[in-house]
This record gives sequence, C-alpha cells and structure tokens, in this order.
Amino acid sequence: MTMTSPAPAEVSTDAAISVRGLWKIFGEKAHEIIDSPDARLPRPELLEKTGCVAAVRDASFDVANGEVFVVMGLSGSGKSTLVRCLTRLIEPTAGEVFFDGEDILTASKARLRELRRTKFSMVFQHFGLLPHRRVIDNIAYSLEVNGVKKETRHARAMEVIELVGLDGYANHFPEQLSGGMQQRVGLARALAVNPEVMFLDEPFSALDPLIRRDMQNEVKRLHQDLNKTMVFITHDLSEAMKLGDRIAIMRDGDIVQMATPADLVMHPADDYVADFTNDIPKSHVLTVGYIARPAGDGEDISGQPIDADIIIRDAIPRIVNATGPVPVTRAGESIGVIGTDDILHLVAEDASEGSAT
Amino acid sequence: MNALESLPTWMRKRSTLVLLVVGVWFVLGTILAGVHTLELSTATNTPATDWLREFAASIRGSRAESPIFVYFFNPLRGGIEGFIEIIRAVIAVPASGNVIPIIGWFGVVALVGYIVYASSNWRTSLLSMALLTACGMLGVWAYTMDTLAMTVGAVLLSLAIALPIGIWAGLSDRVMAFIRPILDLAQILPTLVYLAPLALVFLIGIAAATIATMIYSIPICVRITAHAIRSLKAGPIEAAESMGSTRGQMLRKVQLPMARRTIILGINQTTLAALSFVVIAALIGAPGLGKPVIEALTIRNVGDGVVAGLAVVFLAVMLDRATTAAVQHSAELPPEGPALIRRRIGLIAGGVLTLVAIYLSRFQLWAAVFPENLVIGEYIANAADAVTEWITSTFYFLTIGLNENFTIHVLNRVESLLANTPWYITIIAISLLAAIIGGRFVAILSAVLLGAIVLIGLWNDAMVTLTQVLIATGIVMLIGVVVGVLAGRSARIERALKPILDAGQTLPAFVYLVPVLALFGPSRFAAIVCGVFYATPVVVRVVADGVRGVPSDMVEAAVSSGSSTTQVVTKVQLPASKRSLLLGANQGMIFVLAVVVIGGFVGAGGLGYLVIVGQSKPELQGKGLAAGLAIVLLGVVMDRIAQAGARRNEKKPA
Repeated sequence: MTMTSPAPAEVSTDAAISVRGLWKIFGEKAHEIIDSPDARLPRPELLEKTGCVAAVRDASFDVANGEVFVVMGLSGSGKSTLVRCLTRLIEPTAGEVFFDGEDILTASKARLRELRRTKFSMVFQHFGLLPHRRVIDNIAYSLEVNGVKKETRHARAMEVIELVGLDGYANHFPEQLSGGMQQRVGLARALAVNPEVMFLDEPFSALDPLIRRDMQNEVKRLHQDLNKTMVFITHDLSEAMKLGDRIAIMRDGDIVQMATPADLVMHPADDYVADFTNDIPKSHVLTVGYIARPAGDGEDISGQPIDADIIIRDAIPRIVNATGPVPVTRAGESIGVIGTDDILHLVAEDASEGSAT
Repeated sequence: MNALESLPTWMRKRSTLVLLVVGVWFVLGTILAGVHTLELSTATNTPATDWLREFAASIRGSRAESPIFVYFFNPLRGGIEGFIEIIRAVIAVPASGNVIPIIGWFGVVALVGYIVYASSNWRTSLLSMALLTACGMLGVWAYTMDTLAMTVGAVLLSLAIALPIGIWAGLSDRVMAFIRPILDLAQILPTLVYLAPLALVFLIGIAAATIATMIYSIPICVRITAHAIRSLKAGPIEAAESMGSTRGQMLRKVQLPMARRTIILGINQTTLAALSFVVIAALIGAPGLGKPVIEALTIRNVGDGVVAGLAVVFLAVMLDRATTAAVQHSAELPPEGPALIRRRIGLIAGGVLTLVAIYLSRFQLWAAVFPENLVIGEYIANAADAVTEWITSTFYFLTIGLNENFTIHVLNRVESLLANTPWYITIIAISLLAAIIGGRFVAILSAVLLGAIVLIGLWNDAMVTLTQVLIATGIVMLIGVVVGVLAGRSARIERALKPILDAGQTLPAFVYLVPVLALFGPSRFAAIVCGVFYATPVVVRVVADGVRGVPSDMVEAAVSSGSSTTQVVTKVQLPASKRSLLLGANQGMIFVLAVVVIGGFVGAGGLGYLVIVGQSKPELQGKGLAAGLAIVLLGVVMDRIAQAGARRNEKKPA
C-alpha cells in the first residue's frame, strides 16, 4: 500500500514543486526507523513497537506550474504535516523537495527565510493573524521582515486589499472582523509577496458553509486571474473536487491515490477512496466527454455540438431541451453523442450508489 | 463515569488507612504523653544552633577582609543602596540643609497621577491621587514615601533581572527546566526566612531589605513572563515563521507584543509582592510603613498600628488599581479620531499641570510639606482604639471566649498529638501518612527532613508551628470549598465576592496582624486567624475556577438524569475538579505557613517566634537561623506530600 504513490523517477522540469520520498516520523528514533523494515509497518503497530508515529510515509509527487494540487484526507491522515514539510515549518525526517531545481530540505536557514519571504506563502486554517497589528500591517508583514520600506510595503498591501475585496478595512484590527473577512486578510497576506507557490492548509474549514462557498469561489477567481501554483489541503472532498486540478488522497500517512477529480470518481484506487467518491454525484464531476458514446444508427447528429470538457451538470439543460442526441466535440473533432437517456442512466447510477452507502 | 465510580472506593480504602494510623498515633501519644518531646526553652541553645551562631559570627568577622565580600557582596550592597537612595532623595528624604525631598508631596501626588493617566485612564489617575493624599492625611506621608521608594526601586531592579530571564525561559525548554526547581522552591519559602541570612551578608539596612524583596518578587515575575511567552497561540507564530521571520523579528514583532498584556499582569503581581515584602522587611531595617506597624505590634498599640496599616492598604490598592488599569489599557485598541485628539490634549495638559505642581512643591511650603491641619491620623488612631475596646468588652464571649474555647478543645489537642508525643512516634506516623498519601519516596523524604529538624534541635517548636499550619489549613479548606463551590456555581456570588477576594490577595499579610491582635490578643489562635484570612481568598479562587472549569455538558448530563443540586456538587463538580481542590489545599498550606510564622509576632510561639527573637538577641542568632532552616524543611515536607498526593491522583487510570 505504501507503494501506491506512482511518481516519475525523474524530476520533471516544468514542475513548480517536486517531492521525492518524503517522510515524517514523529518520535525519538525517527531516523533509525526510516531505513529499517519497521517503516513499512502499519501505524498502530509502529507506535506499539517504537513509540513513533509516521505522519507522512514516502510521499512523491509533482505539482505543475499554475496547478491547484489538492491534498485530501481525514484528520490524522498526515495532510497538514505534509504541507508543513514542504516549507520546513515541520522538519521532514527524510526525502527531497525540489523548487526550481533546488532541494529545499538542504537549504540553509537564511536561504529558507529568503524563500519564505519571496517565493512561498501560506494560508492557515485558524488564520494566524497577528492580533496586535492592523489589517494593513498584517498583510505587509512578510515585506516588513524582508526590509521593504514602509511606503512601498503599504502601497503593495493596499493593492492586495483591493484584490481580495477588503477595501475600507485596512486600519481595522483582526478581532474587529468576521471569520470570513479574517481569512480574506489571510489570503491577502499570502498574496502580498506575489509568491510563486501558495500553500493553503484547510483555509475554509473554520468558516460557515455559506461563507466557505464564497471563499472557494474567491480562490477560484484569484487562481484564474493570477494563475498561482497552489497546494490546497482539505478534508472536504467536494471542496477538493471543486478546486483541484489534481487530488492526492491520504490515509494514515500514505498517498493512496493521486488523480484528476473525474478519474477519482470513475476509477477509485481502492474501497477507501471509493467510500468517499460514492457520495459525489458523477454528474457534478465528470465532463461530457466521459459519457459520450458513438452515435447509434440513424441518430440525428446535426444539432449544435457541445464541448467535451463541460461538466455534465452544466450541460444537462441543453441536452434535455434538444430534440435528439447532442454531438460532443473536443477541439473541433467529433468524439460522439450524448442524449437524455444517457443523462438519466448516470443519475440513476448515482442514486443507487448513494442509497447503498 | 468509570472514574467517578472508582474514586469513592479508592478514597474509602485510603481514608481507612489514614484513620488507622492516626488512631494508633493517638493511643501511643496518650500513653507516652510528655516522653521524649525534645522540648527546649527559648533561651537554650543546642549544638547545632551554637554552631550556626559561630558561623554567623565568622561571616560578620570576614566582612571586611574576605574577597567575596570585598569584591562582590559589599560593592553589590553599595550599588543597590545608592540606587534606592536616589529614588528616596527624589520623593522621600530631604537633602541635608533642606526641609523637603527634591519633590514635595503635592508634586509627588501630581506626578503619580500623571504616570497613572498616561498608562491607563483619568479615573484610575484620580483614585491614585486620592489614595496618596489619604496616606498624607493619616499623618504618615514620610513613611509612605519611603515605602513607595523602596517598592519602586525593588520593582525596577526585579524587572531588570526577571523580564529577560522570564523571556528566555519562555523561549527555551532547557532554561525553563533549569530554573523551574528554583521557582518552585521560592514559592514555598515563607518570606520570614530570607531575612536573617540576608541581613547577615548585607548588614541590616536598605540593601538587605531590597535584595530580600527582589528574591521574593523576581520568581513571581519570571514565572508569569515565561508563562506569557509559552501560552501564546501557536497559529500567529507559525504564520510569522512561514513568512520568513528571523528569531529576533519573531520576538520583537510577534511574541513580545502578543504577550504584552500578560507581562504587564506580571508586573502588577511583582509590584504587589514587592510592597508586601518591603513592609515586612522593616524587620531588617527597611525604611517605611513597616516600622510603625512593627512598633505597634510590639507594644500592642492598636491605634497607631491601624493608621500605619491603613496607609499600607491605601498604597496597595493604589498600586494594584494602577497596574491593573494598565493591563486593561494595554488590551484596548488604540484610540482613533476625536478620541485620539482628546487623549493627546489630555496628555499635554496633564504634563503641564504636573510640572506646575512639581514647581510649586519646591517653592511653596503648603505644597512641599503635607499640611498639618489636614492630618487626621490621630483621630483615626483614637477611634480604632475605642472601637477595639468596645468590641473586646462587649463581645468578650466572641473574641476572647472563642479564642479560649478553640485553644482548649482543638488547638491543644492537636498540638499534644504532634508535639507532646515521643518525637520518633510522630515522625513514624507522619511518614506513614506521607506513604499512604504520596507514596514511598515522599515518605522517606519526610522522615529524613523531619529527622534533620530533630538534629537541629528545634523539633518541639517545629511541631507547635505545624499544629497551627494544619489547623489553619483545615479551616481554610472548609471555608474555601464551601465558598468556592458557591462562587463557581453562581456568577452573582462570584461577582459579589470579587472585591473581597481581590483585597485579600492584594493586602500584605503583615497588616492583618494589627486588627487580629487587637481582637484576640497575643495567642496562637490569633496566628491561625491571620493564616485563615490570608490563605482563604486564594483557595476560594482556585476552587471556584476548578468548579467553573467542569465542562457544562457534564453538569447538564447529570442534571438531565435527575440529580439534585447536592448530587451535582458532590458527584460531578467536586470529583471532576479534584485537581483544583488538591492544588488549592497545597497553595492554602503554603500561604498559611508564610503567615503563621509571622504570627510569632503576636504570641504564636513556634519557629516564627525564634526567628524574630534571633533577630533581636545576638546570643540567640544561631537559633533564629536554625528556625528559618526548620521552617524551610517543614515547608518542603508539606509541599512534597501534597504534590505527590495530587500527582498520584492524576495518574489514576480513568
């Protein structure tokens, strides 16, 4: 099971971040365990035998430039530890993390600080705002510790304040803001240094559902506008599906599957993953291309074609209102048709799986 | 639920054992009463106390020659004395050829008012000025200023040492592990035992008093400062780390600002501790209000004692209110707009007024020396005498009667068990109890430390003191649990009690002695009453916090399953806050010990009396030092037993 993180052996060049064989074991003799067969023991047995906890086990993956890479798992699965290992907020026990060809894990303290000040930024579940500083000085903190002059850093802070919709709140203190607004400050702070990679650790878990939806849309919008590489941690699969280009699912420190949202739903690697994905309506995740079928004999395929990458849910009105099957095209090439019956089959499938769980 | 069910049986088993030991002890004590009690008259020295006396004499002799004195202690004494004298010269002591200090009373009142305004608000500022003026009206302005100067000086020196250490201990586990035992020891040392050794090294006077005060207040400040750093929320700190802060930036821009409020609270506690100690330090020559208090206690002059005691109370309330307001002020958001402008105008105008007041106090007699016609101290002294007279004669049965009955029926019985039984039987009994409560290690420790007291030769006096401590602690726990549970269950009672509890924790223990002595006369009972007064507020607070800390759904579950109020208290709230109860008992005992030894002043006998006698009679100096040592040993034994009991209780599997 620990071998299920299929990763390219070569470090790919267009990746923003490449992680190879990353381990984090909490406990006294962590380093001895890595090279011993004990490392492969299931978690409870390892704890029993050595008193150590393996939070992250042999994680390897690449995050492409501009990608939103989601790490999903239940609490205790190691996802928060994993993201902290990437910037060494938690010191990993073993492994390599490449950023621009440089192994972060061997970087000096000073170099690490420099990276944190200019290339990386992080958004935290409980915001982590400094209570004694106004919004503007919270946002400008990274620039301040990097020695940027007050005028310059405040001007930059005002830019991102506008970007995240906090106009008029620059001189408030965090405690004067609602949770959702506070996390906007968290986002603005992370954007202030114009980072190359943003790490978001369950940024919306502490928010009310309605605010959470707003903030998810906000992140989607920011991602479209700014095209930042993001590593996004969540325990909420629908959030993962909504935001992620690719999703890594973690359990007990292992990455059990890494795939696009659609692949997760269509081909869950094991029962554990299937357990999650069963609750997700396929029509919400899959694109039209997934269920397009060759046109049957005598079917009318002259209607207005539909793009294969549209989510099925969004295409339903057009398909249902069409007089016959709708042709599906990808990059102008016809790849098949989709009709009302196909939609009904899919919905029926979702319904039966939902009731089975 | 398991824990709750298993506790009573566990207690029953253990309490049977305790009863058994006490029973056997009592029987043997009755049969062998008066045998091997090691009783020793006050004037008699033992080999150990003789040796200590000679040791003290040799220290005195080497003061002028020994390098450690010439190059360390003596310059240190000079430096500290010089520092305090500078402050005294400004507000307290007239320079030669002058009638007033650099600033006269009017200027001091204005200056204090301005400092308080700048660090909090004008209401607290007015209160502070009123309280200071009241001290002047009591006719003890000069004493008050000496006490204030000593306190301010000792606090400044303490902070200069304690804040850096506290911050360091807050940041580093290793430093914390190193200083924690020192802090723990400092917490259980009764104030009285520092005095004699320090006076020996630094001579009687300002330096010894200041250093003693610092030894008392520094651990408090270090503990709170370290706690302030350690208890910061992890989120903002991790965030600041993720943004590339250096360690210095983290400390300056994140940790210290976030910890500021708690650190100021630490300064509040340090100040109050310093004040209470400066008063007691009059015993080794600290100038100030402690002097008239001690004089009044020695000759039982209630009226003068009340006047000086009131001034101490006013000063304590002023320092407490001012520093507490500063804590609140530091938590508020900075003013904006019109409020900010008002505040700036206030600061400038206040500054000008203060300068005018200081100028006046240097050149106008009414502003320089506190006007005689405003002084009403004498009336208050007379009134206090009259009231005391009236109470003691009218309520004779309540004061003297209570004293006598309690002494005959409770105090003497317990004392005869502890002190009038052969010493080896008492040691064995106490060690057995320690074993039952705290385990084998504490039992051995108790036996060894109590044995050491026997060797020193102060066994009997130690048992006299122990008797008073145990009885006072028992009463404190009784009151503390009842009132604490009430306060923990009802926000209204808690609010009503708050001023009393605050006052109890603010006032220096020394000033309790005056009224208690007036009412009950010089006796062991008076010392017990003082101990109860002093320790009860702390215990009430700890118990109330514990009861309030019981998760509300636990209480709701008990209520919804049909428990009566009594059942909720006895079956849920008390068992669930057991840790707080044990902590309260331990704290109460340590507080009681500190006051009961001071009770040596009011005829309580025991070790405290020996310490005080040793201070005034050179031939008994060794005995005084030995008594101080015995108090420490006794304190450690009681603390260890209570702590081990609490720990063992915690470890019990749920």
